[in-house]
Amino acid sequence: MTVAAESGMRRSTVAGRPPAELWGGWEAGLLLLMGGLYLAGAFVNPAFFGTSDALAAVLRDAARYGVMAVGMTFVIVNRELDLSVGSTLGFVSTLFSVAYAPSHADAGIAVALSVCVAAGIVVGLVNGVLVTFLRVPAFIATLSTLFIGRGLVLGLSGGNTIAFGEKAASDPWFFQLGETNALGFNNQILIFLLVALIGAVALGKTRMGYETAAVGGNEQAARYAGIGTARARIRSYVLSALAATLAGLMNVAQDKGITSQNGQGAELIVIAAVIVGGASIAGGRGRVLGSCLGAVLTVLIDKVLREGVPITRTIDVGGVPMEIGAVAQLPPGAVPAFLGLLLVGAVLIEPWATSGGLARLRARLTRTPVPVVAPRGDAAIEAARTRSHTALDHRGIPKGPISAFLARRDAAAILLTLALWLTGLALRPDFWAGLDNSFAMLTAFTEIAILSVGLTFVIAAGDIDLSVGSVLALSAAVAAFCLKELELAPVIAIPLALLAGLACGLLNATLTTRFRLPSFVATLSTFYIARGLAAWIVAGRQLSGFPSSFTLIGRSLAEVLTALGAPPGTGWWANFTGAVSVQTLFLFVLAGIASIVLSRTHWGQMVYATGGNERASRYAGIDTRRVRFLSLVFSSLCAACAGVIYVAYLRSFNPAAGQLRELDAIASVIVGGGSIFGGHGTILGSLAGAAAITLIRSLLSLQILLPGGGSYVLPQHWMNVYIGLILILAVIADIWLRQEEILSRFLSAWRRRSSERDIR
Amino acid sequence: MTANSGAPLIEMRHIDKAFGPVRALAGVDFHLGAGEILGLVGDNSAGKSTLMKVLTGAYRRDGGEILVAGEPVDFASPRDSRERGIEMIYQDFALCGNMDVGQNIFLGRWPRRLGLFVDRNRMYGDAARVLDRLKVDVNSVHAKVESLSGGRQQSVAIARALSFEPKVVIFDEPTANLSVMATAKLLETMAELKRQGVSQVIISHRLTDIFEVGDRVMVLKRGVNAGERLIKATTEKDVLELIVAGAA
Ligand SMILES: Nc1ncnc2c1ncn2[C@@H]1O[C@H](COP(=O)(O)OP(=O)(O)O)[C@@H](O)[C@H]1O
Ligand SMILES: [Mg+2]
Repeated sequence: MTVAAESGMRRSTVAGRPPAELWGGWEAGLLLLMGGLYLAGAFVNPAFFGTSDALAAVLRDAARYGVMAVGMTFVIVNRELDLSVGSTLGFVSTLFSVAYAPSHADAGIAVALSVCVAAGIVVGLVNGVLVTFLRVPAFIATLSTLFIGRGLVLGLSGGNTIAFGEKAASDPWFFQLGETNALGFNNQILIFLLVALIGAVALGKTRMGYETAAVGGNEQAARYAGIGTARARIRSYVLSALAATLAGLMNVAQDKGITSQNGQGAELIVIAAVIVGGASIAGGRGRVLGSCLGAVLTVLIDKVLREGVPITRTIDVGGVPMEIGAVAQLPPGAVPAFLGLLLVGAVLIEPWATSGGLARLRARLTRTPVPVVAPRGDAAIEAARTRSHTALDHRGIPKGPISAFLARRDAAAILLTLALWLTGLALRPDFWAGLDNSFAMLTAFTEIAILSVGLTFVIAAGDIDLSVGSVLALSAAVAAFCLKELELAPVIAIPLALLAGLACGLLNATLTTRFRLPSFVATLSTFYIARGLAAWIVAGRQLSGFPSSFTLIGRSLAEVLTALGAPPGTGWWANFTGAVSVQTLFLFVLAGIASIVLSRTHWGQMVYATGGNERASRYAGIDTRRVRFLSLVFSSLCAACAGVIYVAYLRSFNPAAGQLRELDAIASVIVGGGSIFGGHGTILGSLAGAAAITLIRSLLSLQILLPGGGSYVLPQHWMNVYIGLILILAVIADIWLRQEEILSRFLSAWRRRSSERDIR
Repeated sequence: MTANSGAPLIEMRHIDKAFGPVRALAGVDFHLGAGEILGLVGDNSAGKSTLMKVLTGAYRRDGGEILVAGEPVDFASPRDSRERGIEMIYQDFALCGNMDVGQNIFLGRWPRRLGLFVDRNRMYGDAARVLDRLKVDVNSVHAKVESLSGGRQQSVAIARALSFEPKVVIFDEPTANLSVMATAKLLETMAELKRQGVSQVIISHRLTDIFEVGDRVMVLKRGVNAGERLIKATTEKDVLELIVAGAA
């Protein structure tokens, strides 16, 4: 019954033609759009799109994304998200290559395949268990597995390409799967069709599919109806991971080798494909065929963007004008900007179109009566956010100063920071507390901490900002470009860079508060858009060598004082000014103000109230949308400041700026006492969290001197694995230790039991 | 008697409200006199909470009229109805679990100092005074609300509502999660409020509670009026029949 909501609700109760389960108007629209796009591609670039090879190539590449989109459809219909598919693809193909390649384990094909399938199942189970039993929000759980997966790729492959072209000849039946067959098209297309068919039937026609839709539509109702909701959700994650595994195997079958970039960013194409295909990010709605068409469309757009437009350029050769052919092309890094826009567009259009927006538009255009809209119960969606903990009356008010400190949510981070620093000191007393290391750690700390100051507001208000690392990169790119290419003065370049950050913040905030997208979707889109734009702005240019008046922002105080003609001399003052830089000072001013605002002002209370219970806050007259809006804008502005400082400090721009920083910053806030569900977090805690993350990073790359005179460093290729694990552990610890008070409940139960024993 | 004398304090006429395909209320009439305690009963999803949320402005009505003291009103949010002295204690209390008792009692109107900062001394002082007046035993105004038991969370919600000195208080299923002791205490509070002349609506499944403190009972069935009775002139059995059969 619950599944009636799938599509054709609000019909009369007579059992007429049942609503379509596999196919609908949305899919027809997609086909039309695709045909138009292909014709447009053929028109501007006949050399590529005019040939039948091009169609085969688009379909071949779409096959892998399509297979993943089938799995992702199950996850999204379940009202969840799997950001890890691209990295699972990379991980599985790396695993296959490491197992199969003669240069590595040199195992047989059967062994290699079994290892891959087992790994895929494990990834799916890990994601599923994290989001169900451990109650980690889907985006944060799968973001962590994304980074862990990428770390595993780097760690397993050592960052090198692996190839096994010769050995592949001995297992033709497998590698044939990636080849063109006798009928003239690639076998991957066949696999895609087969998977699409099975998926479409499974989701649209079976009880399993109905369960998936019911869980995504209203999990509580599904549970009351006796559906094993945890099982259904885990199953979807396993399906998604298995689809990614299959795509990874298709990839190695085609390429007979891997690079460490395999599958990078594929999650964006896959998620965009499913949403473009008509699935709702709010769960409960989506069809496999739509997702498959969405995949083809998205890959087509990707190809059109990448192939570029052939142009003729006139150049002057010794006084004679000559026409030469060229291709106007986007820099490769810029494509995600458009895919991010596509994702936002699709997410925005979907609810409008499925609530009869097209019919209303047509009615308005043809001046016929406009059909009435039945509002969807969005209040019911919002209601899911109130959590109530009852009957936990034991937690009294802490008495002494020590227990008062330990009762603070940021106590763990502060103690952890201290412990980590002492560990470093114990391991390398000669180096750890020295000037160089302190300066390096403080500057790294500053970057993470500036991001986490803004993020603290966002997380406390109950949202998330996944775009901070990309916004950092964008504003750094703008600053570098303005200074170097446009030769603008720093006083103009810096505001322009901040303006770029402000624009990102406004985009995030508008999408979440006005268009009511979940903040992780809005900021995920900005994540790709901002990074794509950054790559576009600096495309191929070496941006370095900035005016020294600008780079002073990133120097130590000692250098600034020297430049001002007052060198610090010697003694503690020299040490202090040598370790502390302008950016660190900036951080402390920023953090000081932010801390007062958050903890002492009316505004700060509104942030906590909004994150704690948005509906209650609204009833109490708080403009919660404004609170969330301004928090998101502030976060982007902080990221923009970090971007400017980045350029000033490194004196050059690198497109990898800020990569993974969102992970560090989120982990800092959570370690520092923030809750991924909102309502908690302090600036002091986030600073302590950032310090802990910085220290962990430095410890992980610390050269440890062994007693025998040798030294040891952890393998650095595995760094992403460590950081991803730390993030997920922090989130789980927050949910299970702080939120649920598992520790103190355990303690009091234990105390009770032992006192009972004493009585006996 | 207090009820039925002159124009009712609150009158709702022909209220309609739909959530997509679900018609939650269809032409419902409602009235409440000054100082009256009205029991609002009916099966699950009969529309009781929806009717009261329409009254406070938490939901916008699709049709119908609302009059307060004979004057038509149009509340866009609970904030507007609060200005006319109407307070509702929601089924889930609508509190912020991450904040403490004092912060919750003054949710959204924390006293200010220098126009920008929160005057914490005054906030906690006033909160303690409000709680004292109600004789609520919450250990401390500094305790986080999520660490309190259900009964105490409700006390905080009631204290918050009463701190606005309302003329009308609506309780949505207040006794659903309460112990016997806590229920008795709540009914005492309601009787005390009645003595102070506050009108009250209590939505409840437990007719015993309504018969103990109420003046009148009104029955909703599937979003329409199913009848009403004066407590003095009816029995629990009679009201139960109304709930089940819905005779007028
Ligand atoms: N926010 C909402 N969104 C969608 N449907 C709702 C919402 N609130 C109530 N309803 C529906 O309206 C009907 C009446 O609900 P409610 O007023 O809560 O009933 P009661 O309080 O009498 O148990 C129910 O069918 C319920 O599902
Ligand atoms: Mg109710």
